[in-house]
Amino acid sequence: MKIKTIVLLTLALGLGTAQAADVAALLRDADRYRAGADQQQIDTQVEVLNADGSIEKERRYTVLSQPGHRSLVLMQSPAEKGQKVLMLGDDFWLLMPGSQRPMRITPTQKLLGDASTGDIATLSWAEDYEGELLGEERCGEAACLHLSLKARRKSVSYQRIELWVGKQRHEPLRAELYVQSEKLAKQASFVLDKAQSMVLEMALQDALSNKKLTHVRYLARKPRQVPEAWFNPMFLARSPSLE
Amino acid sequence: MIPSALLALALLTGSARAELTGQLRGQWQERSAAALGPLAAANALQAGTAPQAGSGALLDAELRASAGPLTAALSLQHSRLDGLPPRSTAALQELYLSGEALGWQFSAGRKLVAWDVGYAFRPNDVVAQEERRTLLSNMPRGRPLLQAEYFSAETAWSLVWVNPEPRQQAHFGDEQALALRVYQRRGALDLHGFARLGEHTHESLGAAAAWVASDSIELHASWRYARRNEVWRNRNGTAALLPASPWQVEALGRRQQALLGASWTGENRLSLMAEAWWDGNALSAAQWRDWANLNGGLRAIASQLPAPLQGAAAGNLAWQAQAFGNSSLRRRNVFVRLAWDHEAWQPALDLLYTPEDGGRIVTASLAWTGNRWRIDAGLRSWGGPAASVIAQLPQRRLAYLASSWSF
Repeated sequence: MKIKTIVLLTLALGLGTAQAADVAALLRDADRYRAGADQQQIDTQVEVLNADGSIEKERRYTVLSQPGHRSLVLMQSPAEKGQKVLMLGDDFWLLMPGSQRPMRITPTQKLLGDASTGDIATLSWAEDYEGELLGEERCGEAACLHLSLKARRKSVSYQRIELWVGKQRHEPLRAELYVQSEKLAKQASFVLDKAQSMVLEMALQDALSNKKLTHVRYLARKPRQVPEAWFNPMFLARSPSLE
Repeated sequence: MIPSALLALALLTGSARAELTGQLRGQWQERSAAALGPLAAANALQAGTAPQAGSGALLDAELRASAGPLTAALSLQHSRLDGLPPRSTAALQELYLSGEALGWQFSAGRKLVAWDVGYAFRPNDVVAQEERRTLLSNMPRGRPLLQAEYFSAETAWSLVWVNPEPRQQAHFGDEQALALRVYQRRGALDLHGFARLGEHTHESLGAAAAWVASDSIELHASWRYARRNEVWRNRNGTAALLPASPWQVEALGRRQQALLGASWTGENRLSLMAEAWWDGNALSAAQWRDWANLNGGLRAIASQLPAPLQGAAAGNLAWQAQAFGNSSLRRRNVFVRLAWDHEAWQPALDLLYTPEDGGRIVTASLAWTGNRWRIDAGLRSWGGPAASVIAQLPQRRLAYLASSWSF
């Protein structure tokens, strides 16, 4: 009896570890469709649509992303030009246009305005979440895998994500994004490019308040290594060249 | 100065890789003057002694261009306000070269360098003061300087030689000075150290910190000690008509300034900020009492004078408004701001309160931001007990409506 228990426990532990490894690999695959290289520059366009389909707001961002959860978001739209948000792990700073003073901001302040878009653009499912494979389901015509992700860090915008990826290639298909209070904040769907190799667009349906639809389009991605100094908060007052 | 600025902008924007951004803004202001205070008393004795801006329109443009190592910023303004002649101004706010050598970053020219962690009060903004609590954002003006900076991953050094040419008559920080800032990041904590050596004001030291205590709460603090500081003081102790203003800039010894602040932001995008500060550069309670007695004495003298001589009394009363020129009105100050970020709308309510005399400035504002357009509207009111300093400032109320277009 004792031996049987030990064997069963060992098998269960082994299966658990194997499943965790599988989920990590699945998430790394899914990340590759959105993020690409470890060190890169991503140009993003965000459109917020009203319920009638008219465009309420359009914003453009350049996101410089480096390993170690380091991202610098440069606002490019006329209404926000000069505004910058620096994200170093769980620490955040904001520089407003016309000011030379980088201000320390809280994770909640980071969600104000449109800066949270930068977070959406750069978060890494594999690094920022631990996941559980809930099983196989149907996503429209195709078979897909349902994963439930729980945040490893408190400062990420969404504490829980329900994610569906393709069964064969693990491309992201859709997601449900939950905030700290366990409320469903947004429902996301992903559109791949013609080559079916990268996410071209993410559509976010607001589920919390205004029912608005946000389209996040990845206009360009290119590998880019930037100097360490650019990720010093006080460097925000200088203007890095994006050429 | 301005032709050279326009030339710089033209050269910059003519460059193939230049970038030009800016903002055009039209604004209407409706003002009402205070019935209390020395300026109101001066104008009551003789109308027009101290002309004050009334209601009217303002148009302004802010242009910023950069190409390679060169950056220029220009502001243009035209105002038509009741009580004042139409006025057009243009100012070169920044024009500087920046570059990198041997791992250091360098800048030379007119540039804005702003430090410290507070919102309503920033004692360590010792290179060029950014305006505080403006109704609408304005491009601040930099100072002539040479700057060297070094950045590692978590530390930054900044050494600034401001106003490299000696200035004998410069006051309130516009003197030749060397200023140093050291920054260190320690996880959720930002630490700053400041030192300044001024041509007239000599040494001062400062420190500041900002700490993110939780997902929603940020705390900040700032402190500065100056061996000599410049303040406006009245050299005349008794009520008597004088031929020249008794208010002079004086260098006083050993002053401290300190600020404590906190901000909270909720998931519902509601935010609350509170700051309290001590400003040793402000006039003391006893000095304000003397000031009020002097105002009363001057009004009493004026009541005895024949009409042709009342202009002299009015002028003496108007000079008393120079007491408002120091960095804070009272030594103890409290500031609270409540704001809500709701989609394109940002309503806000703020209060500046001086507990020593109960004075208060209340501002309610509403902003709407679109893709290129921004609309701002608001109302600021100065009030408190009749004896409070704020109630005796020249203005009682100001309402504004502005429309901005960014490109």
